[in-house]
Amino acid sequence: MNSYRTEGCTLSGALSVTTAIKDGITLIHGPEGCAHHNSSLLHALMVDSGRLFAPAILSTSLTETEVIFGGEEALEDTIRRAAASEPGVICVLTSCVSAAIGDDVRAVCRDFSHLPVVVVPTGGFLGGGFSQGVEEALMALSDFGEMGEKTGSVTLIGEKNLEYEVEANYQEVSRLLSLLGISIELRFVRNITATAMKKLGSSSVNILRDPSLIRVGNFLESRFGIPFIPGFPVGLEETLVFLETVGKTLGIDSSRAAAAEKENQHRLIGSFHNFHGRVLSPGGNGPPDQPVFKELEQIFDISFEDHGKPVPIPDPLPVGTSGLSRMLHRWRRICRE
Amino acid sequence: MKQIALYGKGGIGKSTTSVNISAALSDMGLDILQIGCDPKRDSTRMLMRGRLIPTVMDQVRERGDRAVMLDDVVYTGYGGIRCVEAGGPEPGVGCAGRGIIATFQILERLSALHGDVVVYDVLGDVVCGGFAMPMREGYAQEIYLVTSGELMSLYAANNICKAIKRLSGRTRGICRLGGVIGNGKNLDREEELITCFADRIGSALTGFIPRSQIVQMAELNKKTVIEYAPESSQASVYRQLAGTILENARLDIPEPMEMEELESLAYEFLSD
Repeated sequence: MNSYRTEGCTLSGALSVTTAIKDGITLIHGPEGCAHHNSSLLHALMVDSGRLFAPAILSTSLTETEVIFGGEEALEDTIRRAAASEPGVICVLTSCVSAAIGDDVRAVCRDFSHLPVVVVPTGGFLGGGFSQGVEEALMALSDFGEMGEKTGSVTLIGEKNLEYEVEANYQEVSRLLSLLGISIELRFVRNITATAMKKLGSSSVNILRDPSLIRVGNFLESRFGIPFIPGFPVGLEETLVFLETVGKTLGIDSSRAAAAEKENQHRLIGSFHNFHGRVLSPGGNGPPDQPVFKELEQIFDISFEDHGKPVPIPDPLPVGTSGLSRMLHRWRRICRE
Repeated sequence: MKQIALYGKGGIGKSTTSVNISAALSDMGLDILQIGCDPKRDSTRMLMRGRLIPTVMDQVRERGDRAVMLDDVVYTGYGGIRCVEAGGPEPGVGCAGRGIIATFQILERLSALHGDVVVYDVLGDVVCGGFAMPMREGYAQEIYLVTSGELMSLYAANNICKAIKRLSGRTRGICRLGGVIGNGKNLDREEELITCFADRIGSALTGFIPRSQIVQMAELNKKTVIEYAPESSQASVYRQLAGTILENARLDIPEPMEMEELESLAYEFLSD
């Protein structure tokens, strides 16, 4: 049986968001195991991307006793314990166990309305997977946003905190936006403080990490009246369209930015002229059917065949011109080996 | 060791019936263990002179699962009957079914499940897997349904048949329906109706307990009928029922009725 990246544990998905708040504490209302394996996973991935600190996660440590008698008191105690360190936000995430026994987590948290407590429903057995956890966390945290004067800047929504190239992808989107003279106001949610989330209502456009977050995009649009762009660009053509779309949404002329980027892309294509005619065999998720691979076949004269040189296909796909460049450089190195 | 369980709709008289069966069996010189499997914890009260004994779950809450000892949960009542109450969470929180499962695990650990007859008195309906615990392998082999002639009581009894049928179908499932105990509510042709119901689900009437003021009197005096009025005809009824259960060799896999079938059966016995 396959276990796809987007499925899996709702709780893990929400944690990938909530643990990216620098001054936040995430509280898992469940058995210790839920906290342990998620902490281990997050810690390992964070160390991989240079963050040495363990994520701030607390568990209500439910045992059979709480299952029988109810876990609401354990939740209250743990919220108090979390509050003692005066975090910017306390994110309360439910688990399969607390959801199955029917603890009224929202009611308990309402009793702590003097604290910045946010409830994220993440009882995994209810059917959602990793992606749903991400969505639920983003929507729950949007409560922090305040309606403000639109500043002409951009908010990035739902960066994939656990992906290997998260910072490289941010840099690329940041570079593209700078061609238009636009800055990124907020990364919702990556390495920010709880206070920073107030600015969620002030940017002029939201850029979703990818189209799977469209529900979040719609939600924020109806809540703050901010239009959104459905995803980071993948492939050369899409990168140019991205510049045009952002420009149009913000009422900015994007022609100079697009021309500059086209020039940049030409340089990349030129530097790979000796790559023409390569026969490659994509690894990972089977034959690539995304438009970006058609584009590669046409521009670089690459063909994808089963008998070709095996090359890895990154998942998620590379972002922008720079992402594509990184992937091609990697492929070229493999071909030289 | 004979292990029996009484199931039926809430308030139908399971506890009254089971304490009197236990008391009657005890009077025959048998070693009896009665286990109340209901968070309301009042199954064994009449065997304990009205005392609500500390429950297994109370002890778990106070001192933790591993620290619970035999003397903390087993209390001796009328005729040396050993009484246990599973207990459970406060109404409206937690998971009572899991409490029943935990109780059984603790009783196993303490080797408390012994005697000539173990009587399980179980919450009104099979609401989840936890309340089916007494029917599982190694526990009650004989299930008795307690019902009056009222439709909703028959409906609940019929529902429990579904659980018995399911569990008896398992590879090593030994649980069977021992019979139906009629607990009268003074309805016309009530015994006849319950007998007919028992027959339709593929079982038989084990006994019929007529409604009697003496039951109420005994309870107000915090005793079983067997103890309070041993010479009464009602006490004889309970003694006879206990004897029948003790001798019973008929064990069936029931065939639950459809709701419509059950309704039309109840209709047939309505008085004009």
